[in-house]
Amino acid sequence: MGETLKRGFHHGLSITVEMVRVIVPFYLVVELIRHLGLIGFIGGLFRPFMSLFGLPGESALALIAGYTTNLYAAIAVLKPLHLSSRDVTTIALMLGLSHSLAVETPITRKTGVNAWLLLAVRIILSLLAGMALNLAWKLF
Amino acid sequence: MEALLTSLEGALLLCGQLFCIIVPLTVFYEFLKTRQASLAGRKRSLMGISGRGLVPLVTGVIIGLTYGAGVIIHSIRSTDLGKKEAFLILLYLSVCHAIIEDTLIFAVIGANALILLGVRFFLATLLTYLASLSGRDRP
Repeated sequence: MGETLKRGFHHGLSITVEMVRVIVPFYLVVELIRHLGLIGFIGGLFRPFMSLFGLPGESALALIAGYTTNLYAAIAVLKPLHLSSRDVTTIALMLGLSHSLAVETPITRKTGVNAWLLLAVRIILSLLAGMALNLAWKLF
Repeated sequence: MEALLTSLEGALLLCGQLFCIIVPLTVFYEFLKTRQASLAGRKRSLMGISGRGLVPLVTGVIIGLTYGAGVIIHSIRSTDLGKKEAFLILLYLSVCHAIIEDTLIFAVIGANALILLGVRFFLATLLTYLASLSGRDRP
């Protein structure tokens, strides 16, 4: 009991250390981009793609951070962007379905199943779910 | 300089909020790991997944792929689950894992938790069920 408690706490701490190391740089970079006034440029660049999901162009940064790094990175990017609750839900759903691909795909591979097929399923599902939720927001 | 400090404060505040979610969860996960063997007794299969398959499945759904990796890889490799069953388990997990943590950390920044939970469970169950109907063993 005490041993289990201690182990859980230690794991929690090591995850937190990892999380701080990811969140602080991502958060600061996005704030820097905002202060330099580059957010409009980046937003414009990704607007055509992100409008498929009803999201502002600059939220593409969160999608890229989440897909390649992890959800902590995605959240660190999202928070300074101050999206509406609706938009956060859409991008959270997309990221929930598909994230940390560089870490989770090798783990999937180690179990012996076809990890590339599952990788494709996750990305496609993520994009389709984003479009579907955007449609649902418009309808209801 | 002041902007930098404000940003740093925002980043650390976010870390603090996530810390409050993560530590109770990892403690809970450790308790769960000590109890997982009791899952294997189930007889009926669900979406093509048997009782033995429930250990990696439930571990992944609750704890997640990264943190639960040890248990998941070990329990799939050490039991003689068929290739198809292993694929079904990983298909479910690919779509739906770390369900508590992923949902809570997005709820912190304003996402609707019910939508996130509902859609992931629904899609994972639907896809796994459909895949279990196909007779072909996947590589």
